[in-house]
Amino acid sequence: MSALLEVEGLTKRFGGLTAVKHVSFALEPGEITGILGPNGAGKTTLFNLLTGFMRPDRGAIAFDGAPLIGVAPHRIVNRGLARTFQLTRPFIGMTVVENVIVGCLAPRVRAEGHTEVRARDMLDRVGLGSKADLMVDALSYGDLRRLEIARELVTRPKLLLLDEPFAGLGTSEIEPLAALIRELHKSEGLTILIIEHRLREFMQLVRRVIAMDFGEIIATGTPNEIVRHPRVVEAYIGRGGDDLEARLGVATEVVRGTA
Amino acid sequence: MLAWGSLSKTDVIAAIAVIALLAVAPLVGSRYIVGIMTVALCYAIWATSWDFMSGLTGRENFGHALFIGTGAYTAGFLNVSFGLSPCWGFPAAAIVAVLFSLVIGIPTLRLRGPYFALAMLSGAVVMQKLSIIFSETTGGQDGLNGLSPMLRSQVSAYYFTLAALVVTVIVLKFIALSPWGTILRAIRGDEATCQAAGINVNFYKISALMISAAFAGFGGALYANYQLQVGPDLFDVALSINIIIMVYVGGMGSIYGAVGGALLLIGLTEGLRSFSEYRLWVYTLILILILFFIPNGVIAPAWVRLREWIKGRGALFTRRASA
Repeated sequence: MSALLEVEGLTKRFGGLTAVKHVSFALEPGEITGILGPNGAGKTTLFNLLTGFMRPDRGAIAFDGAPLIGVAPHRIVNRGLARTFQLTRPFIGMTVVENVIVGCLAPRVRAEGHTEVRARDMLDRVGLGSKADLMVDALSYGDLRRLEIARELVTRPKLLLLDEPFAGLGTSEIEPLAALIRELHKSEGLTILIIEHRLREFMQLVRRVIAMDFGEIIATGTPNEIVRHPRVVEAYIGRGGDDLEARLGVATEVVRGTA
Repeated sequence: MLAWGSLSKTDVIAAIAVIALLAVAPLVGSRYIVGIMTVALCYAIWATSWDFMSGLTGRENFGHALFIGTGAYTAGFLNVSFGLSPCWGFPAAAIVAVLFSLVIGIPTLRLRGPYFALAMLSGAVVMQKLSIIFSETTGGQDGLNGLSPMLRSQVSAYYFTLAALVVTVIVLKFIALSPWGTILRAIRGDEATCQAAGINVNFYKISALMISAAFAGFGGALYANYQLQVGPDLFDVALSINIIIMVYVGGMGSIYGAVGGALLLIGLTEGLRSFSEYRLWVYTLILILILFFIPNGVIAPAWVRLREWIKGRGALFTRRASA
């Protein structure tokens, strides 16, 4: 089976700062992969490059066998690569269901018709069915995240990029959202790429983690391997100190969110 | 901004009632009143066409007079300089206004920031200056005079303008309620999210501006045909600003509110004549009070409340009847 997404030597500079440096990886269809890294590691920039919101200085992206560099964001969505935003950006002044209808109107899926029915079905699936007719301003942060996912899912993506879907959520909201993501992955065979800066939410969700720091990929592996990886520990705790074991202990606590 | 939702039976009945009121007005009003009302209906067409683009997408157009002026001058030239029948002026005015909308819209609507608003503003100013500089063809400050009237009587001109307004509102409201309108309102909400939902926002913004320009140009030709005169004041910044104020007072994004805003403000201007030199003071004061205390506008929000009240009464009535 060939890779759904192939990234090769992707580089993006902002003035003197290299936000993404020679990043290469591939995603197999049906995988859930996580991108881990501290704030400023270049994760969101990487998403913006993949989704056409920014143009890389160097490198190649192939999605479903076709190159993506220089393709407009809306066209990328219509090829089946959808994304959510870290800061949820709903259409203010519209109802919840109208927000999802906009996704149903994407050229990729518009011909299917029944936009409102499809939008309401999707809201039921993500657990917002009872709030469909509220104004979007009335939703909580966790519900806005679900709305973002619903709006992207109606475009029937092959690959869904989630930018810190758990950021700013309370503990009680995280587990249901993780369950929703797992359920979507299981029932649709959807390929998912998630950004997080805390490993804790990843442990149950993701089989493979790509760790980034200062724009570079520093490690790839299962969540358990990544927690113990010296370069990941260094990225989170910093260099120095003498007792590696003690620092690893702290690191495990930090990434598990108990510290 | 409020969402205006879909069209109900009550809305349609109210619209028919307003049209009927406007239709009987010439039977009771004087020649002078009918004249003022014809101009007010032209303003209403301009205001609704502004609201369609800027009210729905949130990209403010500070030079709507560009489309009105080019439309009016196109109609004027065809009639005065080329001797064509006034009927030709209407489609030609719409087409020329659309061409201008493409010249300004294609380069500036893809950019974030105030470029579109500024380009529209300066476009109108440039055309105003050009119409004065090339005075040999445009008549300079005096403009083009002596257009041959399409309709002989003043009352029939009024009815023609009213019919044009009704068609404009129906067409624009129909689009605003369709999936197109949903996308335009989503663009107002957040352009990046629109792109993330797979929508080509530039296409929709430019198309909305073209539709807006077509109706504004048509309205300009209508005005030229009624006044039988076209002048550089049709490109004036004051006209553009007046139209924006009318839409704000009417209620942005509702389309029909703009009609109410136009009629209300033209009526207000006329009603304040007795204040003579203090007229502008009073007019401005009233506007400031409205924009300050009722920022969502007057007409459309008032109608939404009234509609709720009517529905409440209706429900009460049926409950009583069934009890």
